[in-house]
Amino acid sequence: MNPRLSALPLSTWMNHLQGLRNAVEPRAERALALARARWLFRSVQSVGRNVAAYGSMSVQNEGTIQLGDRLTFVGGMMPSSLVCHPGARLSIGSDTQFNYGVSLEAWESVSIGERCMFASFVRVGDRDGHRTAPIVIDEDVWVAHGAIIMPGVRVGARSVVSAGSIVTQDVPPDSLAMGNPARNMSLELVARESGT
Amino acid sequence: MSPLPVPLSRELGTLLSRLKLRRCRAVGDAPTVLGRVWIHGSGEVRLGHRVVLDGRTAPIELHAMKGGSIILGDDVAIEGGASLEALQSITVGAGAKLGAFCKVMDNQHHPLRGNRHERPPSVPLVIEDGVTVGSRAILLPGSHVQQGATVAPGTVISRRIPPRVTVGGSPARVLRREVAG
Repeated sequence: MNPRLSALPLSTWMNHLQGLRNAVEPRAERALALARARWLFRSVQSVGRNVAAYGSMSVQNEGTIQLGDRLTFVGGMMPSSLVCHPGARLSIGSDTQFNYGVSLEAWESVSIGERCMFASFVRVGDRDGHRTAPIVIDEDVWVAHGAIIMPGVRVGARSVVSAGSIVTQDVPPDSLAMGNPARNMSLELVARESGT
Repeated sequence: MSPLPVPLSRELGTLLSRLKLRRCRAVGDAPTVLGRVWIHGSGEVRLGHRVVLDGRTAPIELHAMKGGSIILGDDVAIEGGASLEALQSITVGAGAKLGAFCKVMDNQHHPLRGNRHERPPSVPLVIEDGVTVGSRAILLPGSHVQQGATVAPGTVISRRIPPRVTVGGSPARVLRREVAG
């Protein structure tokens, strides 16, 4: 027996199997994520279509939660959490994506616009121990890793909240908020290089 | 104490650590892995000698995406929840310590302007020898923490940090400058 002759079909078979696996696995994960989201958000009053949760989450709903279409909750090392206290309102627009470890907490009102992106370990809570004030995040906002949004803040459309920043004041539209406490600068003025 | 004699249990621990690090391209002598370590992606991960990865509180994530490389030097210690994401290269020097839940990334993943769903170019990230990175610090693309510097917990860095200084805050400032010699 020539080993090379028998090895060749085996490797092609392995390649076929790998290709099949690459084709099937994402779809299976997607289906599992959709089913998991349906189970996790069973207490939520209105859930849009195609909401997917790729990891474990803790959802605690005693108020009103509204979720839009095509939301994605990515799984990771820490579970995301959605908390809505009695009488509070938490609404999330369509096409918004959440990475792992995001924590959203509503005591009064938190509303998130469409097509937003939330990176890992972002915290949005409208009560900080001193006061309770509604948080509004407009559409197309990108909140980067580890940012904290304090109560009473309105983040304007298409703005970027930089990694690790703590937003205590309103962010106008089309601007970049960075630092602790966050300062705003226009996205037009920020250099085109990739650093912040 | 374990019922096994000490040298044997140490060997077993090393074997178990190597089993957890089986997806790395290269692993040095005597790795110590406690808890969970996630090694994702098709890039390469290389570990030096006597690396300590303590993923007991939360998993450590070493994510080398396609074409990326994560290179850890000798005696590197990483605490739980740390996450290193490389699209191009992350180099950690000998004796560096990365604190819990710190994030090291060499790509922003989304551009500040324009189409949010295309990748901006990566900037290689270097952590030199003897650096201590505090917990929950964030090292953005382009960070270059030079020899013996200390990064305070919660700091956000995106540029070169000179040797033997302590930086802290967001945006990062030099808190203490050690006199040379």
